Amino acid sequence: MKILAFAAARDRAGFSEMDVPVDPSETPRAILRRIAPQVAVENLRAAVDCEYWDWDTAVGAASELAIIPPVSGG
Amino acid sequence: METHIEFTTVPIVVPSAPARTAETGAQVEFHGIVRSLEQDRTITGLLYEAHVPMAERHIRRILDQIYATWPCHAVIFIHRLGWVPVGEASLYIRVHARHREPAFRFSMDLIDLLKKDVPIWKRPDPPPQPPVL
Repeated sequence: MKILAFAAARDRAGFSEMDVPVDPSETPRAILRRIAPQVAVENLRAAVDCEYWDWDTAVGAASELAIIPPVSGG
Repeated sequence: METHIEFTTVPIVVPSAPARTAETGAQVEFHGIVRSLEQDRTITGLLYEAHVPMAERHIRRILDQIYATWPCHAVIFIHRLGWVPVGEASLYIRVHARHREPAFRFSMDLIDLLKKDVPIWKRPDPPPQPPVL
């Protein structure tokens, strides 16, 4: 699975993109804890295949997990 | 509703040919300009980034959602990415509608929802410096 981290989430995680083997039963919270345990999910949102996703819902066969800090477009 | 969604890393060029219809009675334009003060700090510009595929998907969804309340004929949405100096536009929106109220409301709602859910970020970083040779 491709893991993406943006903006402040990238600063905290220390990477912008990473390919990681993932079990379909894993949740975004478990995946992040495994690859970047220093990152707390408070104030962050998960997005799976471009849709906002609950931190505790399994990712299934998805191909991408994005770590989304508070947005500030415009 | 005709829609045009674009992300660009170069200064925004306002489309010259409006997609008006004979029923368009209102055209509202919004230019979001980078100011020299960001959270009480003097800056020279803002560095924008986005999860572009996800941002496009969510903007399309937002347009459909607003259309249900404020129908319009056409929407142009252009957002700058990368370094945007003070004084330049980071966002351009144009809405064509039958009357002024849906055109203004559509524009306002679009900007409000953009700032809530669309994965775009800005930070007051300096622009990348060329390597010293």
